[in-house]
Amino acid sequence: MTNRRTVLRGLAAAGGLLAAPAVLADGHGKPRVVVIGGGSGGATAARYLAKDSGGALDVTLVEPSRTYFTCYFSNLYLGGFQDMKDLGHTYGTLAGAHGVNVVHDWAVDVDRDAKTVALAGGAVLPYDKLILSPGIDFVDGAVPGWDVSKQNKMPHAYKAGSQTELLKAQLEAMPEGGTFAMVAPPNPYRCPPGPYERVSMVAHMLKARNPTAKILIVDPKEKFSKQGLFEEGWQAHYAGMIDRIGPDFGGDAVSVDPEAMTVDIDGSVEQVDVCNVIPAMKAGRIADMAGVTDGRWAPVNAADMSSKVDADVYVLGDAAQQGDMPKSGFSANSQAKVCANAVRGALTGSRVFPARFSNTCWSLISTEDGVKVGATYEATPEKIAKVDGFISQTGEDSALRKATYEESLGWYAGIVSDMFGV
Amino acid sequence: MIRRVLGFSPVVAAGLVSVAAAEGDVAYGEYLASECTTCHLLGATEATGGVPLITGWDAETFVLILKDFKTGVRDNAAMELVTARLGEEEMAALAAYFAQAE
Ligand SMILES: Cc1cc2nc3c(=O)[nH]c(=O)nc-3n(C[C@H](O)[C@H](O)[C@H](O)COP(=O)(O)OP(=O)(O)OC[C@H]3O[C@@H](n4cnc5c(N)ncnc54)[C@H](O)[C@@H]3O)c2cc1C
Ligand code: HEC
Repeated sequence: MTNRRTVLRGLAAAGGLLAAPAVLADGHGKPRVVVIGGGSGGATAARYLAKDSGGALDVTLVEPSRTYFTCYFSNLYLGGFQDMKDLGHTYGTLAGAHGVNVVHDWAVDVDRDAKTVALAGGAVLPYDKLILSPGIDFVDGAVPGWDVSKQNKMPHAYKAGSQTELLKAQLEAMPEGGTFAMVAPPNPYRCPPGPYERVSMVAHMLKARNPTAKILIVDPKEKFSKQGLFEEGWQAHYAGMIDRIGPDFGGDAVSVDPEAMTVDIDGSVEQVDVCNVIPAMKAGRIADMAGVTDGRWAPVNAADMSSKVDADVYVLGDAAQQGDMPKSGFSANSQAKVCANAVRGALTGSRVFPARFSNTCWSLISTEDGVKVGATYEATPEKIAKVDGFISQTGEDSALRKATYEESLGWYAGIVSDMFGV
Repeated sequence: MIRRVLGFSPVVAAGLVSVAAAEGDVAYGEYLASECTTCHLLGATEATGGVPLITGWDAETFVLILKDFKTGVRDNAAMELVTARLGEEEMAALAAYFAQAE
């Protein structure tokens, strides 16, 4: 956390620097909400707070990127089903139509005693309520031999954009009959079916371009999300192409050498051509700096997503440790709406309704072969608890799989408009 | 897609008409609707993919459609899950909100 001195230095440095009217505002009457992170959780929270409060709240969104590339559908981009440009979304409608004060900068510190957020550019933002939705960072040393400085040799592509484009370029340049290796992450991590949807999409792309290529998954987990559905699909569409090494065969004892392009699986060394390393994850670093994490994640109260250690700080999405919801964009968006309703109620006296959450995650296995898993959740004193759910079945007919895929296209349009406005 | 389902659902469930539909709590409906708008577009004139637009229904028909999903008369895993935990009050509130939303 910041001490008084660094806060003051920040303030001095900020003079006249940012086009951010709220930065130095004080005593102008409106309660101030600062949201850190303009992704699935943060953009949704900022939009609902601004939209529903009709100008009664001063809402500032801090996000370094001018374009947010969704991780959702980034696997479909690898498979050739989506264009990268359609996955990028900007903040103009949030600023223009909803009056959110969008500040493109990094939050570098949070002082919970002074209730201020320090930005890399030097400004300091005072808040009455702070919402953190910074997504994930990778755990240092999780895959020996790999760190972020090696991400160009062995991309993670687990934050979408240039990393995803790099991985696709490497796959396209792979030698005939080459090997694509994926080092899969341990639980919990963002998007439980994400690595396996990615394997499906890479297999789809290689089957057309490089049909003798091989895919090797090295996995520390015994089981994975939608496993029966993926394995059925891999057998049907990509027979003989995909091998998975689980923890029984050393999948949990992996190191890599990005220079040599080798993967060491419990002492046996594999030469590979493209290597996608998806390391263990933790809450985005700013959550640590705010002092709201316990271990890798930030524990929250299910009723309103407030931090267990500070009633004026809320944590959404991947960074939160909340109970039963998977770390997904759908979940983060759902949590943001519960949180926004509670924060607005606390600051303006508007009606607060009981928390209700939901999630559905679609995955594409091959052309028009979509599957889904979904659940509803409620707040209990201990956690966000699952109420009810469904999952696609093995052996479904192709018409249902096609309808499921088409649903995912509709959902994508829905969620990005719910986050960024229309 | 929209037309196909319009034909049968309200008719099949016609016996279940709820009086509450006419007097839903719009503010509660707006909150509940935030669960729907992750999938259903607001402010659009055309649906995208397999998720229909759901604005502009009269409240009574809207409630009947929700009940058709809840009872499995209409078959869609996502909508059956969503409607499973909607009671009369929630359905009326949603219907009132979506009847006036754009
Ligand atoms: C390959 C892949 C496929 C996926 N597919 C799906 C899917 O189909 N459906 C689904 O629901 N989910 C999917 N997900 C998961 C989804 O992307 C995440 O769970 C979701 O985006 C989490 O939302 P969030 O708000 O927690 O974080 P994010 O959406 O990652 O947003 C975090 C934001 O915070 C910003 N930020 C971080 N630190 C700071 C700081 N210090 N100061 C200011 N800003 C900061 C970042 O720039 C970023 O924009 C997928 C993920 C991956 C990797
Ligand atoms: C997970 C995505 C999802 C969510 C969340 C969702 N829906 Fe749906 N909804 C769908 C899909 C897909 C269909 C089309 C189903 C079909 O073809 O039968 C649909 C259909 C409908 C229809 C029928 C429209 C028509 O033209 O026949 C209504 C009404 C509806 N939904 C209302 C709601 C309401 C109200 C909510 C929130 C309480 C909601 N939906 C939440 C995906 C969703």
